[in-house]
Amino acid sequence: MLKLDPSALGKLLAGKRIALVSGTNGKTTTTHFLAAALRESLNYDANRLVHNADGANLHHGLASALSGHPQAEIAILETDERVVGDMIRLGQPEVLVLLNFSRDQLDRHHEIKGLGRSWRKALADAGPAGPIVVANADEPLIVWAALAAKQVIWVDTATTWTQDSSLCPKCDANLVRTQPDQISGHGGDWYCTGCGLAQPKGDFRVESGTIVDPARQVWDPQLSVPGTFNISNAACALAAAELMGVDARTALTGMRTVTSPAGRFATAQFGNTTARLLLAKNPAGWAEALPLAQSQTVVLAIDSAAADGRDVSWLWDVEYESLAGRSVIATGRRALDLAVRLRYAEVDYRCIPDLADALTGHPEPVDVVATYTPFQRLRRMGRV
Amino acid sequence: MSNPVAGKRVEVVLIYQSLLGLYGDRGNATVLIKRLAWRGYEPVLTVVEPGDTLPETGHIYLLGGGEDAAQISAVRGLRADGGLHRAVERGAAVLAVCAGYQIVGRSFTVGYKDEVISGLGLLDVTTTRGPVRAVGEIISRWNGRDGQEQWLTGFENHGGYTRLGPGVKPLATVEIGVGNCNDGTEGAVAGTVIGTYPHGPILARNPALADHLLELALGRELPPLIHPEIDKLRKQRLARVRRSNARRGLYRVPSRQLGSGSR
Repeated sequence: MLKLDPSALGKLLAGKRIALVSGTNGKTTTTHFLAAALRESLNYDANRLVHNADGANLHHGLASALSGHPQAEIAILETDERVVGDMIRLGQPEVLVLLNFSRDQLDRHHEIKGLGRSWRKALADAGPAGPIVVANADEPLIVWAALAAKQVIWVDTATTWTQDSSLCPKCDANLVRTQPDQISGHGGDWYCTGCGLAQPKGDFRVESGTIVDPARQVWDPQLSVPGTFNISNAACALAAAELMGVDARTALTGMRTVTSPAGRFATAQFGNTTARLLLAKNPAGWAEALPLAQSQTVVLAIDSAAADGRDVSWLWDVEYESLAGRSVIATGRRALDLAVRLRYAEVDYRCIPDLADALTGHPEPVDVVATYTPFQRLRRMGRV
Repeated sequence: MSNPVAGKRVEVVLIYQSLLGLYGDRGNATVLIKRLAWRGYEPVLTVVEPGDTLPETGHIYLLGGGEDAAQISAVRGLRADGGLHRAVERGAAVLAVCAGYQIVGRSFTVGYKDEVISGLGLLDVTTTRGPVRAVGEIISRWNGRDGQEQWLTGFENHGGYTRLGPGVKPLATVEIGVGNCNDGTEGAVAGTVIGTYPHGPILARNPALADHLLELALGRELPPLIHPEIDKLRKQRLARVRRSNARRGLYRVPSRQLGSGSR
């Protein structure tokens, strides 16, 4: 990773009220929610707020967004998992949102726990000058990291992905989960059999598609983006917005204006084909995106460029079996890896490696699920 | 015409997916189950988690990759259970990948302090932290095989380097990649136990190895299965990895910090 002169980034951050959003999945959408909530409260005075809306979330991307709006007094910044520590040290953020943690790009990260450890250390080092953390209480590693902060607002997000947290982040003993309610998603709490680390009680809670705030007021989010995971993201953004001084009603009004953050969930034209674009970068992300893909023909685009992760073995951790009975088109540079996966899943497919060809000639609208690199190409091709 | 294997029950045991399932290695179970079903067998997948007892009835036992803490937890559970040793004694096949490969060896090290952990001793191999982490595509030649099926293709990602003792033979000879410890060998074999580093998962990318494992477990030859997409994938992987390797002139292990990361 290229490193910028830290004092330059520190200067760009100086004097601003800052909120950071990090985690494996949902960073971009959650940051858009939070920025929209703040904009609503500022009466859309764009000059007062800076937001790295395109999702460029490493040192250079952050510096580039900040230097484009030097006069902004508020910065809402999506932050890569690896940069969180630096940003806590350099920017003294008011709020840090920690969404979730799962396996992603293991050819680069190797170990998920190491990232959690770096967050924990940065928060402990910052002490009383550190941020208030909005943390997903369903994720053991997030909880363990957040407990080092001076104050935490816990969000019970009713997360269902548990495959990346079987051991306690604190003591390595086995974690146990209670069975969640199938309909409301409530419950499914975790605790450690060794040291007693356990899921904190949520200050905010996601319940049956609504968000319950600390005053037990129930908010129907009525978002413009699909997916229950986005209600979880919105709950985290709502908690962060309130910490930044925006009331819930105003925050939700703003968040409802978010329709296709950085191209996610956007509908685009490819010749005569209408396609909706869904991004999925890792098994947890695919578990969220696949159920949204409801069209009879589904296009799946896979690549293994650096930004996608060069190892595609994660394809076997995704339940492509759920696509049985649909017509699937495998595309992208690693279309053949997907083809073999689909063969073993006994899903009918056609393999069309070229993206443009794969999107040609569909009379009905199609849903496209893509990894990062083909997703960005599709955005350019579809101008969304 | 009657099928002599119709309905014959074959049990595949996937061990500790929650600990040793980091790199899609559950795909090895998916591949074996389907290749049995497509030939008329009645495959059964048994998923064993820590605390469960390993079944005594399994034909094939599978272990995959995981992080340090998970690896220690897994080796403890398997030693306490003892079922894997009994399975090997009665002739069941074992495929152990990456961290799983290290676990079935004599010993391995974890963490920055290089703490030595005893393995299960099913393979005469010893693993210690290597000078640089091995991350990338790997191509090796399966020893004793010829034709297209001799090429084993996968993706390796391990900080531990494994040295073979006299009680095992290497599974393959490295063409591109690191393999056991940059000594030209990849994996290890003793009787019905196979250890190897590549994910892919390896049986998805190398169907001949999948069938070899089934034949070891069943004690009989199996008719071939024709799947053009698998042949195409293998050709593509071999060609692309060799091409990018030639472009770089030589294979370099990415110089990155070695840590107590996933194995």
